[in-house]
Amino acid sequence: MNKKHYLTFALALAMAGTAHAESTPDWGDKISEKEFLEAAKRSFYLNDPKEFDRLLDETLEVCNATKNRPNAEQTKAILAREQKSIVYPKDGKLFGDWKKGQKVVEEAHGGRIGYPGFADADNPKHPNGANCYACHAIDPNFPQAGNMGPPLTNYGKLRPKNDAMVKYTYDKVYNSKATNPCSLMPRYGGPKHLLTPEQVADVVAFLLDPESPVNNPPVNAK
Amino acid sequence: MKTTTKRLVFGISLLAGALTAPQVLASDDKFAAYREALAGDNPGEFWIDDGKKLFFEKRGPKKASLEQCDFGLGPGVLKGAYAQLPRYFQDTRKVETLEGRILTCMEKLQGIKPEEAVKMTYLNAAEEDSRPDDLTKIATYIAAQSNGMKFAVQPRNAQEQHALELGKKMFWRRQGAMDLACADCHANTKGKQLRGVDLPDMTDIKTAGKVMTAFPAYVLKDSNVRGQWWRNERCVLAMRLPWLKLGSEIDAALTLYMLNFASQSEEKIQVPGIKPRA
Ligand code: HEC
Ligand code: HEC
Repeated sequence: MNKKHYLTFALALAMAGTAHAESTPDWGDKISEKEFLEAAKRSFYLNDPKEFDRLLDETLEVCNATKNRPNAEQTKAILAREQKSIVYPKDGKLFGDWKKGQKVVEEAHGGRIGYPGFADADNPKHPNGANCYACHAIDPNFPQAGNMGPPLTNYGKLRPKNDAMVKYTYDKVYNSKATNPCSLMPRYGGPKHLLTPEQVADVVAFLLDPESPVNNPPVNAK
Repeated sequence: MKTTTKRLVFGISLLAGALTAPQVLASDDKFAAYREALAGDNPGEFWIDDGKKLFFEKRGPKKASLEQCDFGLGPGVLKGAYAQLPRYFQDTRKVETLEGRILTCMEKLQGIKPEEAVKMTYLNAAEEDSRPDDLTKIATYIAAQSNGMKFAVQPRNAQEQHALELGKKMFWRRQGAMDLACADCHANTKGKQLRGVDLPDMTDIKTAGKVMTAFPAYVLKDSNVRGQWWRNERCVLAMRLPWLKLGSEIDAALTLYMLNFASQSEEKIQVPGIKPRA
């Protein structure tokens, strides 16, 4: 059971009485998946029919259907499938260059689909970023941070320095759903998402390298 | 309006500030200060004047004005029209937002194709290229005719009920390259921030009221007025979903879903609103 989502769910239940007339949270359950996807076909502009795949995902389908509370069997199936999807760098190194990782963590470019006549689509020549600060406090020198995820400042300092930790961190960033079936955190690796295996390895170094600013916060940082 | 140049210069200097010092500007306090500074002097007011001109001007292949457009209260009735949109229209058999309905009328009355009308609302993700467009000007003019009124968007028929349910589904469904739902960032988000920005809970009646009664809003970050569709689209882009068509079923459904919460609040429509980012 995913504790975080369970809490969110409990909160949603508690608030349902005020926010919605219904007594249980309703995620638009009256509209079937089929009906939704038909409406979506009419509502989204597709440059390429493949772009529609962004609305389809086996794992999220279960998370949506169970309101982020998959049962034991569903959980097992998700974890197995997502774990299997993880790809490691060709050279086998899960620990890359923290300076490169720093850029990946800060930048937000990538994965946006445009519309003809709009110059909005991301330029595929520009490497993607992950915008981790959207949800996490990481390097305390960075001026903005979100709090949807746990703070990662001192991440490496507070954790054992061993291969298991490197692999855990790599897997978490590459595919958060491999350890937490309906994690709020986006999956970053794989063709449907933003980062290459090498970029994930660089992010791992940014979090774990003793030289990285993540593990060397200024003395008077909060 | 004789202070035109002064106001525009102010707007431009704000934009320049936003581009050179994003970190400083990202703090909520700084934005509150700008909002106050501009409260009595909202550049968005120009969109009302421009929109009025465009509304009455004979335009398009059919050389007609939009005066005969029916926004739900009868042809040409603008007072209170925005407060009851989106609604179901018999003639198109669609639930339409204000912007969607303007598109319908531009096509029917003036012969202007929707693709022409929405061409340049949003040019790039960096927003440096954002520029004013006619559709938003017309929408701002019409919306302002409901100033001082409360939203009254409650489903009145099966089609509107369906739109509410579809909007709810779109809002709660996790999807896109980021595995996110609107609800992940906008439901039960008290105390939650995204990259230093407070996340408004759109299922909270009071918050929804405050947010929605201000659109179309003058957005300082863009030096431009932004309407309902664009607000949906900006977050759809953040979710890395495909492009949401203006006035589409899901655009109307999402807008109706959020306005249904706003309609239960005491907040009154006051447009153009003024917002730091949005
Ligand atoms: C939309 C929000 C969001 C974004 C964006 C996000 N995360 Fe997370 N992250 C979370 C949440 C929520 C958790 C806790 C739940 C979990 O572990 O699945 C988490 C957990 C983690 C953990 C595990 C922490 C621990 O102590 O075990 C790591 C490491 C992590 N995130 C790194 C990252 C990195 C690096 C990025 C960017 C590449 C990132 N996150 C982007 C929300 C996010
Ligand atoms: C990853 C987080 C995230 C997701 C997912 C998201 N939003 Fe947002 N949304 C934001 C942020 C951040 C803002 C900016 C708030 C501000 O500027 O104060 C915002 C602003 C808004 C606003 C305007 C708030 C205001 O004060 O003017 C609306 C309306 C809105 N979002 C609707 C949606 C809808 C509809 C969806 C889904 C299609 C969605 N959002 C998905 C993060 C998100």
